[in-house]
Amino acid sequence: MVYVLVRKLLAAVLTLFCATLILFVLTRLSPGDPVKVLLGRSAEVAMSDTAAYQQKADELRSQWGLDQSVTDQYLRWVTGLLKLDLGNSMHTGRPVSTEIAERLPATALLAVAALLLQLVLGLVFGALSAISAGKWSDHVIRWICVALASIPVFVIGLVFLLWFAVRLGVYEISSEASLSRLWLPAVTLGLIGAPQIIRVVRANMLAELGQLYVQSALARGLALRLIIRQVMRSTLLPVLTMASLSLAALISGAVVVESIFAWPGIGKYALDSILLKDYPVIQGYAFVMVTAVILINLLTEAVYSILDPRIRRKGVATSESTA
Amino acid sequence: MNRLRNGRYPLSLTAGLVILGLIALLVAGAPLLAPHDPLEQKAAERLEKPSASHLLGTDRFGRDVLSRTLHGGSMTLGASVLALASALAIGLLAGLVAGMFHRTWVDVVLMRIIDTLMAFPFMVLAIVIAALFGTGFIHLLIAIVSVWWVAFARLTRSVVLQLKSETSIAAAQVLGAGTTVILMRELLPRAMSPVLILATFELGSLILTLSALSFLGLGAQPPSPEWGSMLADGRDHFLQAPHILLGPTLFIVMTVLAFNLIGEGLRDRLDPYERAKL
Repeated sequence: MVYVLVRKLLAAVLTLFCATLILFVLTRLSPGDPVKVLLGRSAEVAMSDTAAYQQKADELRSQWGLDQSVTDQYLRWVTGLLKLDLGNSMHTGRPVSTEIAERLPATALLAVAALLLQLVLGLVFGALSAISAGKWSDHVIRWICVALASIPVFVIGLVFLLWFAVRLGVYEISSEASLSRLWLPAVTLGLIGAPQIIRVVRANMLAELGQLYVQSALARGLALRLIIRQVMRSTLLPVLTMASLSLAALISGAVVVESIFAWPGIGKYALDSILLKDYPVIQGYAFVMVTAVILINLLTEAVYSILDPRIRRKGVATSESTA
Repeated sequence: MNRLRNGRYPLSLTAGLVILGLIALLVAGAPLLAPHDPLEQKAAERLEKPSASHLLGTDRFGRDVLSRTLHGGSMTLGASVLALASALAIGLLAGLVAGMFHRTWVDVVLMRIIDTLMAFPFMVLAIVIAALFGTGFIHLLIAIVSVWWVAFARLTRSVVLQLKSETSIAAAQVLGAGTTVILMRELLPRAMSPVLILATFELGSLILTLSALSFLGLGAQPPSPEWGSMLADGRDHFLQAPHILLGPTLFIVMTVLAFNLIGEGLRDRLDPYERAKL
């Protein structure tokens, strides 16, 4: 098992390395010159100041290491990353890592709350739907899922905002992260992801209910309640995969909800930085997001290989049915 | 023929096709159907509520929301279909090649790229591209295509790996068929059905993602009528005049719903085993 885990860890590190390459190349390919973005275009500077402008630009270039070769720049950036140094924001001048660390808890809180809601909705309605497969309650749940999966997040967010904040006045419009302001964005995000989890739970429970052991237990007259408990247990593993995929999607997908509810998470931070052309922030944000996704996947695989004896031995997920 | 009769939700396929047909008619017929010029601004009629002359009201420049919605559909839908087709083509090709050259460096490199891109959430890549290369519809589409093909590549690869062990492929090889012939004649046709089912669902979610990114202001820039940019445009006035988002929202929801229903129906018809899985 240790061998499997080490191999997964190495694969994760390799993926992270490739991701830094992609990020670096993208930044290099971008048409904007960060020095000009910060100082303004050279054409806009008064003629008399050209020398001073040039000097300042050269200073910045050497300070950011832009005068070095491309490989040196990359190495410099990656060694910085290893030391958790994401550079300084061009707008505020503060370290990007600090600015992100300040906003990460808000996003994490939102994502975890939404995930919990998704799991509760998914397990309850997925099980309900599977048990009553073919009956009207199953149809209603499936149709609601299809409909819900067709509505953009921001529509639900805006309607909630209009209803709870403007019409009913029970939701406070501000830009602070507080527990009393968490529920509406969390419910918005949670509702959007729920249909996927409901589907997975339903499908896996149905597959499990069709298994021979369930049939024989039914034939022997075992209480339905006990059978369902047993079935639920084997359904939980695929749901774990789904939950981890969902968490990764939530952390990044929270951007829209953060923007609507003015929730001060890192998605909103990155969004605001686009207009400011704050490259180090964008780079740092992307790096943190990719690292988070990779870590979540790694953690899931680790938990999986501990829980599932088949993977523990072979290191390969045999249950493709979680798709 | 049995498959056709066993379809458990023929309703979803029919309903999806009917909705999609209606939307296509409305969008294609926009020049005839739209009651007003989508770009004409009337200062006196700003943010008007829905009325007889403006069925969905007017936006902040006094432009008719219904006309803009109808005209904007062709750009939104056209771009979405184009983006999906590109992603599909790239993904199909990459998947076929990776599957065909399984256990060689080609497959290893492709899978490495795929794994890395899987770690990039769409939103993140879209934000990075918007920040580095500027916001705009084309940039948004490039961001989407550069990540979206991965889903198709993975699916195609797994289908190819599954098919490769079948006797018909071995038979073709024995008969002297080259790699290209096996790819194009044997593997591609049979990989198409699951890939197309995925594509129907993905088209719906691509439209959703596109609209969300446009809503954040990363998409088409005003004044061109496009559903996403209409959403971004109306956002600031939403709390005073919620009706201005009604048009584009309604059309987006109906389109995505149509694709989801079609996907649902296709899956039930073409792939009865999938039903138990999903």
